[in-house]
Amino acid sequence: MTEMRTKSWRTAAAIGLAAGLAVPAQAADIVWARYGDIDTLDPHRATSTLSLQVWSLIYDTLLAVDADGNPVPHVAKSWTSNEAGTEYTFSLQEGVMCHDGTPLDASDVKYTIDQAFSETTPSVTKGSWGPITGAEVVDPLTIKLTLDTPFVAMIPFLADSFSSIICDSNADAEGFGTTTAIGSGPWKLISWTKGDRIVLEKNADYTNFGKLADNPGAPYEDGLIIAVVPEPQARYAALTTGEVHIAEPPFDDVPAIKDSGDLNIIVAENTGQNVFWEFAAHRPPFNDKRARLAVAHATDAATAINLIYGDLSIPEMCPVSRGVFGNDQDFCAQYRPEYDPDKSRALLAELGYSDDNPLETALLVWTGGNRQKLGEVFQAQLAEVGIKASIEIMDIGSLNARVRQENENTEGTTGSMDMMTWSWYDPDILYALWHTPGAYRGYTSPELDAILDETRVLTDPDARKAKVQEAFRYLLENAIHVPLYTPGWEWVFAVRPEVEGFKVAPFVYPIFSDVKIGG
Amino acid sequence: MWRFLSTRIAMGALTILATTVLVTLLIHAVPGDPVQIMYAQSQGTTPEQIEEVRRSLGLDRSIPVQYAMFMERLLQGDLGTTIRGGQPVLDVILQRLPNTLVLACSAMFIAIVIGIPIGFLAAYREGSLVDTGLMILAIAGISMPHFWLGLMLLFFFALELGWLPVSGNGPLNLILPALTLGLSNAAIFARLTRSSMIDVMHQDFVQTAYAKGLPKSLVLRRHVLRAGFLPVVTMMGLQFAFMMGGAIVVENIFSWNGVGRMAVEAIFQRDYPVIQGFILTFSVVVVVVAIGIDALYAVLDPRIRRA
Amino acid sequence: MTSLTDIPNGSAPPGFWRRMVRSSNGVVGLIIVLGLIFCAAFADLLAPYNPARMGTGGRFLPPGGKFLLGTDEFGRDMLSRILYGSRLTLLIGAVAVGISLTAGMLVGMVAAFRRGWVETLLMRSTDVLFSFTETLIALSFVAVLGPSLQNAVIAVGVAAVPFYARTCYSAALVETSKPYFEASIAAGAAPGRLVFLHLLPNVLPTMIVVATLGVSTAILAAAGLSFLGLGAQPPTSEWGYMLAGSRDYINRAPWLMTIPGLAIAITVLGFNLLGDGLRTSLDPVERR
Repeated sequence: MTEMRTKSWRTAAAIGLAAGLAVPAQAADIVWARYGDIDTLDPHRATSTLSLQVWSLIYDTLLAVDADGNPVPHVAKSWTSNEAGTEYTFSLQEGVMCHDGTPLDASDVKYTIDQAFSETTPSVTKGSWGPITGAEVVDPLTIKLTLDTPFVAMIPFLADSFSSIICDSNADAEGFGTTTAIGSGPWKLISWTKGDRIVLEKNADYTNFGKLADNPGAPYEDGLIIAVVPEPQARYAALTTGEVHIAEPPFDDVPAIKDSGDLNIIVAENTGQNVFWEFAAHRPPFNDKRARLAVAHATDAATAINLIYGDLSIPEMCPVSRGVFGNDQDFCAQYRPEYDPDKSRALLAELGYSDDNPLETALLVWTGGNRQKLGEVFQAQLAEVGIKASIEIMDIGSLNARVRQENENTEGTTGSMDMMTWSWYDPDILYALWHTPGAYRGYTSPELDAILDETRVLTDPDARKAKVQEAFRYLLENAIHVPLYTPGWEWVFAVRPEVEGFKVAPFVYPIFSDVKIGG
Repeated sequence: MWRFLSTRIAMGALTILATTVLVTLLIHAVPGDPVQIMYAQSQGTTPEQIEEVRRSLGLDRSIPVQYAMFMERLLQGDLGTTIRGGQPVLDVILQRLPNTLVLACSAMFIAIVIGIPIGFLAAYREGSLVDTGLMILAIAGISMPHFWLGLMLLFFFALELGWLPVSGNGPLNLILPALTLGLSNAAIFARLTRSSMIDVMHQDFVQTAYAKGLPKSLVLRRHVLRAGFLPVVTMMGLQFAFMMGGAIVVENIFSWNGVGRMAVEAIFQRDYPVIQGFILTFSVVVVVVAIGIDALYAVLDPRIRRA
Repeated sequence: MTSLTDIPNGSAPPGFWRRMVRSSNGVVGLIIVLGLIFCAAFADLLAPYNPARMGTGGRFLPPGGKFLLGTDEFGRDMLSRILYGSRLTLLIGAVAVGISLTAGMLVGMVAAFRRGWVETLLMRSTDVLFSFTETLIALSFVAVLGPSLQNAVIAVGVAAVPFYARTCYSAALVETSKPYFEASIAAGAAPGRLVFLHLLPNVLPTMIVVATLGVSTAILAAAGLSFLGLGAQPPTSEWGYMLAGSRDYINRAPWLMTIPGLAIAITVLGFNLLGDGLRTSLDPVERR
């Protein structure tokens, strides 16, 4: 009966809200506004941060991360591996329930992994699951994973929402990924109106084992509405009027917001986000290391990000950002090409470029987060040394496609460089990006391949760290991956004063279980 | 009347048919390999998968075969699946189309309610200061970019005054976008109404009616209004198409969740199935509305009614 | 929006200049358009600063003082950007209308001249394209070719071709259906001579009005595409693009939104008024 009442009340609230955000949100609904929508509710079908954030609310993962980003037990209460690092056995918590009332057990984990490696429709993140060759249900609470070769990045992967556990009842559910998403996380899906909003309801049966929330059980508030509000100024206005509780504010208004004290500003830490230059390295001019270095020496990242983001963002020296294994600012600063326009001009002159014959390149940037503005600043900086860069702005999906196209194009003399952005929980991202064939078919070399291969199998943390840093050095000295700044996108949250307990876990996963909305 | 209407319907059907052909060809006009472009964004896509997609879209076949496949799916109500997220395109469009229609219709209503009386008043006072003033206003209205008008309205009413919500899809949220779209079109209606009314007022039968000593108001009611409205009605179809086009921009300013915002997102994401679906839907809506308005015209105009 | 084909054919009708001067609309329009051409032609002399240079002044300086129209988020001088933007705007209008005019007149005149199946084919396809609406055609073009200013201008130009073709066709038809014209064809007169001596001069006045009004439509449409991010790319000072960028600073620096918008509105108004004036002046019986 109670269940029934809760449900009909929720539906009423959902209808009320569907009629417009203008209707003040029910006290028991948290409204979080973001600039864009999820791609899908199926964790095997997308990689966007916007999607991942929502999956982390609906689904659970075997492991979770602590405040520093280290993997800790969650649905898996413990795990063991064999000496060779090719077999992992996870024992699961008892009594975890999927949203449809079925228990979450080893067969659900197996289902998730089988889907990831499906013959016909493998996961878009299949490569990141590693060389898994088998998932065996030992008993309902024990799952054994077999790997072809050791893969140390699997453990952090299992703590990230990329590896969200999909309950096997989704196999029979109508519209999985669009209208249905059965998980076991703190929030249940009520509805998703594409381009508009996702309505979630609290999972009253939830037990939190390892996720970064103080609350050991179900969320305090009844509902969570994740609205799409693309315009930063509109989000700001909605925050001011109380239509929305939590949202990313316009960057340029953050100082004013801070001064006024009307809203709290929360900046996510350990986001793992890395924004960097990369180049189409298979054709002139950027097949020459000196051309890449000329760009690196011409960019003054610190000044540029200060202009656009103020003190909200900081320069990053390493190819993987702060909070990710191996990151060490001092180490990387020795090898990262420093801002030195004279050196840049000298390199350009050496290559035969001049004011009459400038180095020309496309500069690809993806939409949103003021990145196109930052691109304009970099464009102006490059112009100072005589590099003619023409900006092209596109969606991140198109950017990924375009970068690959540019790398595969070996003809012509107009260069292509892009402000790529990646967020990953482990330096294994470098393997995906720069090991042959490379996610974008970009720069690769046998030496780099050898280093990156080692980073995957070295189980001793110190040895692995040394190897990872060797990769950093190689990437920096050859100006293959020139880090610019971190964090990279949607990491600032403005929160209304009546909202208590909102926090953001590492890798920009907002946590709503602790949130209470005061009167 | 039926002959008139059936010609219009045939013309409309031809337009939609032509759209289906263009939409099929569209994907071939894309520089580079569309499937690569669409799928390279997923890091795990295998060459086999890409081949599979190519096959399922029929891109490995000749263009006529592709067209036949496209039409076969279309007739079954299948517009393909979105590249981002793999949802049925038809569902995605149907979820948002009502929002766009509501916006376009409200804007049309505003344009008519404001534009026609102004045009009528100007015609009634032809040559006076009122006429000149109103027409200056109208030409200024036509010259005002609606994306700018939208921003200004957003700035004053939502941000400065805080009277209206800035985003979302409720009735209150409709006011600003509908006003933005409606006001710029009201100016067009005003000019059209005025010139059409003046045309009629100068015609012989109206002059005769005056000469017979009929009171001005009666002449206006009986003769001028009806005849003067006919050209305005014919323009409504075109105006509606115009509104649908304008909605694309306005939806993006006010975060209105319609097909226009969807289309712009899809262009950025290179989600070609969505773009194809959008073009097709847009042209169907425009054609259907145009036929509806032609029918209305046929009913109003005695010459066609009798034909 | 009155039908443009009402304009009688013939070279500049008697009293054209007198009426043009009397039409206050036309004069105001002409002044605005000439002013715009002046700004565009001498942008490098008139502009006080380099429009692309960041940090010319502080960021977000309000209008007045050293920076007459203020500075933007990078400390670039707004006045210089607007002045340079006028070049782009005129170029966009001219190129887009050039495309529409050339293709439209070609189709319209061929259809009116050739008659028969050529006419049916050309005009029916024009009708079909016309019902697609210009926005949709332009958007489809950009969707295929990808966002850039060049593509946006082509898209806007092509999208308007059906309208130009239709108008030109109706204007040409008036002449080609005259008995003398049909007789000349029957008598084997050189088609080129007929087209250049009789058809073109009769079609041109109408098309000049259409093109003048068309410049404003084209500028609006291209600015709209740039506003959506589907046209001009940075660091161009295209007005629609500038307007789009201003949205982030609507609270802090509202002039970044007002100024480019005003620039577009005035330009479009200028061409609209001029077109209106031309129409009245070219039409001796025009009463409106």
